[in-house]
Amino acid sequence: MSLVAYTLVAFILVTAVATALFRDVLSAIVVFGAYSLGMAILYTLLLAPDVAMTEAAIGAGVTTILLLLTIARTSRPSTERLFEPINVPALVIVGAFVLVLVTQLLPEMYAVGDPAAPVWSNPEVTQAYLEQTYRDTGVQNAVTAVLAAYRGFDTFGEAVVVFAAGIATLLVLKREVFA
Amino acid sequence: MIELLATRYAYLLMFVLLGIGLYMTIASQNLVKKLIGVNLFQTAIFLFFVAVAYVEVDGEPGGSPVVPATENPASSDLILASPLPHVIVLTAIVVGIALTAVGLALIVRIYSEYGTLREDTLREVRADE
Repeated sequence: MSLVAYTLVAFILVTAVATALFRDVLSAIVVFGAYSLGMAILYTLLLAPDVAMTEAAIGAGVTTILLLLTIARTSRPSTERLFEPINVPALVIVGAFVLVLVTQLLPEMYAVGDPAAPVWSNPEVTQAYLEQTYRDTGVQNAVTAVLAAYRGFDTFGEAVVVFAAGIATLLVLKREVFA
Repeated sequence: MIELLATRYAYLLMFVLLGIGLYMTIASQNLVKKLIGVNLFQTAIFLFFVAVAYVEVDGEPGGSPVVPATENPASSDLILASPLPHVIVLTAIVVGIALTAVGLALIVRIYSEYGTLREDTLREVRADE
């Protein structure tokens, strides 16, 4: 855990709180884009460059564009106040939820990167995939190998979901916004 | 206590982000901001999966899941992050954007039908009908 990681965690927390509190929707969208970018850098630090690239392209890129398009199609309420008023009942409920998670669940979890954690320590799973990937598929990137070869049908299902979402979007909008 | 939090910083961050996302979906009156909250909640879950896959030995981080180009790699070359949670997260990110797109399309329709994006105003308009 380096200084870079601490700085990133602080950046992500600040942008997340700002996203929640900004009253102006456009400001919230822009800050959310910065949040996604910070998250992508944190994924890179946690050794997941594939996830980081996807998050930067889709989370910071496509999501922001879709949100901005929606704002352009609808309204952006003008306000004088910078921040939303705090909703106390919601804050109490959410605070209790987070408190229970941190006090009850956090001590039970393995330290970040502990090789004894179940994901990594079980030789039947992670190590087996890492050992066999090049022999089975000839691809060096294990994420690509799992995505396209070992779990190819899952990826096909994902494409079906995206297709269904495209159809649903067209049906809901009745093509009127594209005219 | 401090050490517990420092070694589990990614999980701690995830819990706080889950709370912020949940708060946005509950407390924000604007439908677009509610959807941003759902997205924030999602990224917290992604962080959990990525943090679970991360591995380090004696404080030295392992490698990204890129294996050496040999048929029988030595196990010392294979101290790499687990690729399986990464693949799940890749799928989840793409499904998440599909979800967001449908949600935003519904929001555009709601606006063209009722002329508002605020939940409280929407309730009043629908109660009058």
